Amino acid sequence: MKWIGDSLEKINDRLNPIVVKELRQAVQGKFLVVVIICFLCVQLLTMGLFLVIDKSVAESFDGGLKIFRVLVSNLLMTCLLCIPAYTGIRLANERADANVDLLFITTLRPQSIIWGKFLAGLVITVLLYSACMPFMTFTYLLRGIDLPSIFVLLTFDFLVVAVGIQSAIFVACIPANRVFRVILGVGWFVIVLIAVNIITVFSLLLMEFGIGSQLDAAEFWLGALGVLVSGLALIGIFALLSIALISPLSANRALPVRILVTVVWFLTGIGAAIWSIVIDDFDPIWVWAILHILLHSIGLFVAVSEREHLGWRVRQAVPRRWFARSMAFLFYSGAAGGVMWSASIIALTVLSAVGWLIVFPHMVTNDEMLRIAPLAVLGLYTFSYVLAASLIRRNFLMDRVTSNYTWVIALVLLGITTTIIPLILFFIYGKWDENWLVASPLGPFLFHDSEVVPFSLIISIFCAVFIGALSLPWFFRQFNAFRPPREKVASGSQTDKSGNVLGV
Amino acid sequence: MQVTITNLRKDFGATRAVDDISFSFSSGEIIGFVGPNGAGKTTTMRILATLDEPTSGDAQIDDVSIVEVPEQARRMIGYVPDALPMHRDISVHEYLDFFARAYGLAGTQRRQVVENIEEFTNLASIREKSLYALSKGMKQRVSLARALIHDPPVLVMDEPASGLDPRARVELRELLRVLSSQGKAILISSHILTELSEICDGAVIIEQGKIITAGTLEEIIKPEDEQHTVLIRPLDKQDDLYKSLLLMPNVAAANQLGNAIEARIAGSEEMCSDLLATLIRDGYRIVEFKQQGSDLESVFMDVTKGETQ
Repeated sequence: MKWIGDSLEKINDRLNPIVVKELRQAVQGKFLVVVIICFLCVQLLTMGLFLVIDKSVAESFDGGLKIFRVLVSNLLMTCLLCIPAYTGIRLANERADANVDLLFITTLRPQSIIWGKFLAGLVITVLLYSACMPFMTFTYLLRGIDLPSIFVLLTFDFLVVAVGIQSAIFVACIPANRVFRVILGVGWFVIVLIAVNIITVFSLLLMEFGIGSQLDAAEFWLGALGVLVSGLALIGIFALLSIALISPLSANRALPVRILVTVVWFLTGIGAAIWSIVIDDFDPIWVWAILHILLHSIGLFVAVSEREHLGWRVRQAVPRRWFARSMAFLFYSGAAGGVMWSASIIALTVLSAVGWLIVFPHMVTNDEMLRIAPLAVLGLYTFSYVLAASLIRRNFLMDRVTSNYTWVIALVLLGITTTIIPLILFFIYGKWDENWLVASPLGPFLFHDSEVVPFSLIISIFCAVFIGALSLPWFFRQFNAFRPPREKVASGSQTDKSGNVLGV
Repeated sequence: MQVTITNLRKDFGATRAVDDISFSFSSGEIIGFVGPNGAGKTTTMRILATLDEPTSGDAQIDDVSIVEVPEQARRMIGYVPDALPMHRDISVHEYLDFFARAYGLAGTQRRQVVENIEEFTNLASIREKSLYALSKGMKQRVSLARALIHDPPVLVMDEPASGLDPRARVELRELLRVLSSQGKAILISSHILTELSEICDGAVIIEQGKIITAGTLEEIIKPEDEQHTVLIRPLDKQDDLYKSLLLMPNVAAANQLGNAIEARIAGSEEMCSDLLATLIRDGYRIVEFKQQGSDLESVFMDVTKGETQ
């Protein structure tokens, strides 16, 4: 039996330290115990009330289904609200400036910290699932629901909870003061509440259709695969963003995020294309395009706020060959490269959508171009605003605002042109005109008058070209500076050169 | 092992917390980092511990930059923060075990290291107690134990003596001496300057983010002019002694302090010796004759203005 002990010891040593610590604290703490007891009480009460009050449950053929609907809602509500919140709040407290947890000065890699937190959250979820299992089994005995339905729905909910945990970890990693953290937390909570409702409705619909009978259909498995891939992609993106947020500033934090997002963009594009062909409709491509353009428009705000001067650590990983260096410029940390990368993805997305309609002209209806134009306007305007903000910061606010607050200037610009100026005009003229929203990235989505959209597109192209031209010297400077260092400066000589080291 | 801090600067918005400071220290040295509240000590130490990034400048442990390769620097630094560990629901042993795992220790080695550290810091008897329920002094010990768990060559300790009772302070001093003799480079901040001067080899005095003075304790404390202050306690005839002292040519000033007299003597230490011989020869019965050296506290009071950022 010694080998069992040795094996367990080896497993124990290989366990992620964060998982060990989190689980030790979870089982010794009050929170999890209270949650599990309350959850069990609610489940027991639900089942008891159904059986005692609703006599039809025991006699009808769908009694189990009726109870299962409520039990699975309880489970989803508990898992999706409590566990991510528990994980996120703990991490946020550990990251707080006033009480920074010293695990961030150990040699644990950021990946280990984030995946450890995630795994610990998953293990707690499994614990709650285990507590719920006897009730679920009982619903099967009460008839009205089959085992595949129970299995598929629980798997789907588990995936949703996993995404919820990782999203909470991401929110907890965002560097912010206490007030902003609370705002972020409340925002996250509201989104999760909405998600709980949507997913509950979706689960009920799935139950109505009867999952067991669809297991033979290829569409079911394609859909399930799509959901699984989307869930895993979301978890991956949130995880990489979280890792980037807690990595040292000197690290090449953007590289893994940009690679993954590009891969997701490409794979989802292929998926949307296949779907579009199958249903012979442009909608999947349009949905794919708007999601990615929205994502990369937000990405432009993040990218422009990255640092402009790269440290030795990133520069030493810069390839020497021109082509490889150009590619690395797009994917490595750095403001100019980041803006170029997001802008390139936006441009490729719009061009892909237009190209799709050229290749499949029968998908063109009267308003297809009117649906694509707003996408282009959104990308072009965001590009213009972030570059304008960068220009203003570099030329007028260099000493006052650091590059990581460029996004604030961009938001202020956006606020001025899309809210303050239209409001002033409204008060001057006493009436509303859609043309006043011509500088808004989201304006074309709101216009009722379709003639305004081309006008908005022309203006946005002009802005992007003009501000892009003004920013060209900055792009060139940044690209020229994006080179591997010739040699590392010796530490001793650096110290000596300063001439004012006070040796003790 | 040499720790070199070069032109370190840290801005928080418009406030410059650390303003272009540079100093260095090496293995086996204990350096006191002294300054009034808000001088930038904690900020500097947090930067050294890789918890914060400097606005500019760098610190290097031998050739390892804390800015460029903080992961490598973390292996070399043990940090004792001013905030005590506040984790709920975890025992002392579990807490140390977690950090041992986090630093990559495994199996028997991990268990051995944790046990040794618990012994070394006198935590063995409370290893199963909840961290949250410990006294401040005990938490300080846990914090020190955690910083030592990976046997770092550099220790950065922010106010480790605050809140400790006199016995714990003496034990901490002894512990630091042992660690220093093991070859660790120690940077320690404290407001208890008398204690610092007993254990430190050197000191860096900082105010408003700038270094006011730095050097070995001898360099810092050494008086600029050739004057010595001595405390003389006679058995009797204190007034006569006071008058006699005032008449002596090498005595620049004299003050009566209770049952003793403080005299400032112009000249070398030889003058002090001659003065004592003269007084005994003149029939004064001297119980105590003690040179009042300038200490770190008085230097600190002289060079700082007590201003914060």
